[in-house]
Amino acid sequence: MAKAVETQNLEMAKSARRVPQEEWYLPGHRTCQGCGPALTYKLVSKATGGDSIFLGPTGCMYVANTSYLCSPWAYPWMHTQITNAGAVASGIEAAYQVLIRKGKYKGKLPNIVCMAGDGGSIDIGLQAMSGMMYRGHDALFIMYDNESYANTGIQTSPATPYGANTTFTPPGKAIPEGKVLFPKDACQLVIGGHPAVHYVATASLAYPVDLINKVRKALNYKGPTFVHIHSPCPKGWLFDAKKTVEVAKLAIETGMWVNYEWENGEYTYQHTPKEYKPVAGYMKGQQRFAHLTDAHIAKMQAFIDAKLKAPGIPVALPVQGPRES
Amino acid sequence: MAKEMFLAGCSSAAYGAMLSRVEVISSYPIRPYTGIMMELSKLVANGELDAEFVHGEGEHAQVSIAYGASAAGARAYTGSSGVGVTYAMECYSPAAGGRLPCQMAIADRALDPPGDFGSEHTDVMSARDQGWIMGWAADPQEVLDNTIMYFKIGEDARVLLPQFCCQDGYFVSHIPGKVSIPDQKAVDEYLPPFNNPHPLDPTKPVSHGPQIFPDQGPAIDLQRAQAFIDTPKVIEEAVADFNKQFGRNYDPFLEEYMTDDAEFVFFLQGGHARTARFAVNHLREKGVKAGMVRLRFMRPFPTEAVAESLSKFKAVGTIETSTSYGGAMKGGNLIHEVRSALYDVPNPPPVTSFMAGLGGEVVSLEEFYSMAKVLTQAAKDGKVDQYVYWVNFDKV
Ligand SMILES: Cc1ncc(C[n+]2csc(CCOP(=O)(O)OP(=O)(O)O)c2C)c(N)n1
Ligand code: SF4
Ligand SMILES: [Mg+2]
Repeated sequence: MAKAVETQNLEMAKSARRVPQEEWYLPGHRTCQGCGPALTYKLVSKATGGDSIFLGPTGCMYVANTSYLCSPWAYPWMHTQITNAGAVASGIEAAYQVLIRKGKYKGKLPNIVCMAGDGGSIDIGLQAMSGMMYRGHDALFIMYDNESYANTGIQTSPATPYGANTTFTPPGKAIPEGKVLFPKDACQLVIGGHPAVHYVATASLAYPVDLINKVRKALNYKGPTFVHIHSPCPKGWLFDAKKTVEVAKLAIETGMWVNYEWENGEYTYQHTPKEYKPVAGYMKGQQRFAHLTDAHIAKMQAFIDAKLKAPGIPVALPVQGPRES
Repeated sequence: MAKEMFLAGCSSAAYGAMLSRVEVISSYPIRPYTGIMMELSKLVANGELDAEFVHGEGEHAQVSIAYGASAAGARAYTGSSGVGVTYAMECYSPAAGGRLPCQMAIADRALDPPGDFGSEHTDVMSARDQGWIMGWAADPQEVLDNTIMYFKIGEDARVLLPQFCCQDGYFVSHIPGKVSIPDQKAVDEYLPPFNNPHPLDPTKPVSHGPQIFPDQGPAIDLQRAQAFIDTPKVIEEAVADFNKQFGRNYDPFLEEYMTDDAEFVFFLQGGHARTARFAVNHLREKGVKAGMVRLRFMRPFPTEAVAESLSKFKAVGTIETSTSYGGAMKGGNLIHEVRSALYDVPNPPPVTSFMAGLGGEVVSLEEFYSMAKVLTQAAKDGKVDQYVYWVNFDKV
């Protein structure tokens, strides 16, 4: 007789104290001081625990972490190409389904987690991510968002904010803003086109318990889930390495980042400030925006104001594309 | 008891995969290999094969799904043709470097442009240096047999390499022939379940594919090279066991046809061997001592066997069904391998090459006769005048 596949049921953490002391992402890696994605990784690992398989597409969280003979992972971990995390995860999940069904693997279906950068999620990795979401594999896709192709030296990606100075969008006389486009909406890509998905969330490393619980909730769902995690990168955004958490908090206080859950079609919001601070304060703290004029900052504010009318839900934005003006 | 069916290469590959009890299958449509997946999807839908059938969103994903499944410990199977094979190119080295012995069925197809459906080997020959085992069948029976044998070879603990199990599009994939389908029990005896020695298993954590520093590179590459050095022995064993178990008569590396007293031979791989055998028969009737040697494995290339076989003849002509634009011999790929294998042989035969069958064109009997003319002259002169002849274009 074929065996039923038993899946995970992780408990919600009531407070930071109830989060396990154990680490599955161990010291010895080479990420920058104050690296946001590394902190995100640590929290995600605490959320999943050891009955997990992690996939690391090429990007900082592969290159700066996983050196041969001293990798920091206490769970099974596999490199994937930057292009194919969703597909490799699909193969692993399919394998576990059949191996458990045939009685060849005795345990529960492990947590299968892709830890992909913004490029590995919604640019070059989009096709494979979408394939995994569409087919309904029981796996979690996490987009740790450092808002650039960081590992290759901070180039613009579809997650890079308007106005950022990156090594492919340097501000100059002809293009004073640096980056001229506004970002892709990662969660909308997933929510909008994948009927098998029932849970999508955004999270921030500034709110660790919320982050951990969203990861656990996502894993407890059968089928594919997506969590988009804001993870400031001091090297790419050019701020003081000790301010990573501060920058992440300020993003929420200014509306640059909104924490929400989308569960079976319903949105709920977390950490919404009573009153949003002007985005200028957030941008002034990061050298990547240092070249911008007041007019550029006003354009960013208009973008945020429009988005905040319905965060997570697409609305017509009052900003022009580069070829529309 | 084995049963006999009339099958084309695609269905035959599907039956080979079913008898191998593949556990994860990843598909994407492209002609001509599609028939394999159409057949397998039926077998899964009917409950004849218990496997996960995953619809990849492209060939890049197909191969990624297959090697991911293999990393988790499942026997995985995929396939493609033509531009599909090249679209997945990024994923071949990770599968081989990860020592993940999934299998990819190839039914060759010409690349674009000019964009036709015919069989030309350039698609997967472009991937011959990515670290996969690779070879061609000449007929549907051999397709089925190779499918089972390749899993046995690739999954051997001394090997652990993925395999391109190739057949010519249409000439083999779509032309039915008699196929003896072995009994499941006999196949189970021959091919044990896949045992990945380092699976992604939370009870035994391992890291797959960490980054190295450049000074660690040579040793790791040497291990991959060593696997290929060790593979020929495993192939010999696997083929001998297969012959015994199923009453076949394969030589591990080369099929020789009418070579005992041959003066020259056509050297080729894949389905054109069937026409070549006819051509040799007709040439013999006219008193021309022609023969044929067919290569069964392109990777690992059987250097010693090729040197030993070909040094018996006075001239050799490789029939190139793939292109190596700007290559050393200015035509195809086979001649590079053959000339290298013969380099240290005392008084090696002259070797030339023929560009034929490109774009999936039939290599006709007339074309074989014109090649025979060139080779007869070469055997007489003890030399060749050209590295490459474009059949029907170059004067012979
Ligand atoms: C096919 C391919 N193209 C380009 C690269 C080069 N590359 C390596 S890391 C990287 C950046 C990845 O960016 P992201 O996914 O956002 O992760 P991050 O480095 O920012 O953490 C790129 C482009 C690659 N490894 N593979
Ligand atoms: S560049 Fe940014 S994401 Fe990469 S290791 Fe440094 S801080 Fe972390
Ligand atoms: Mg990034």
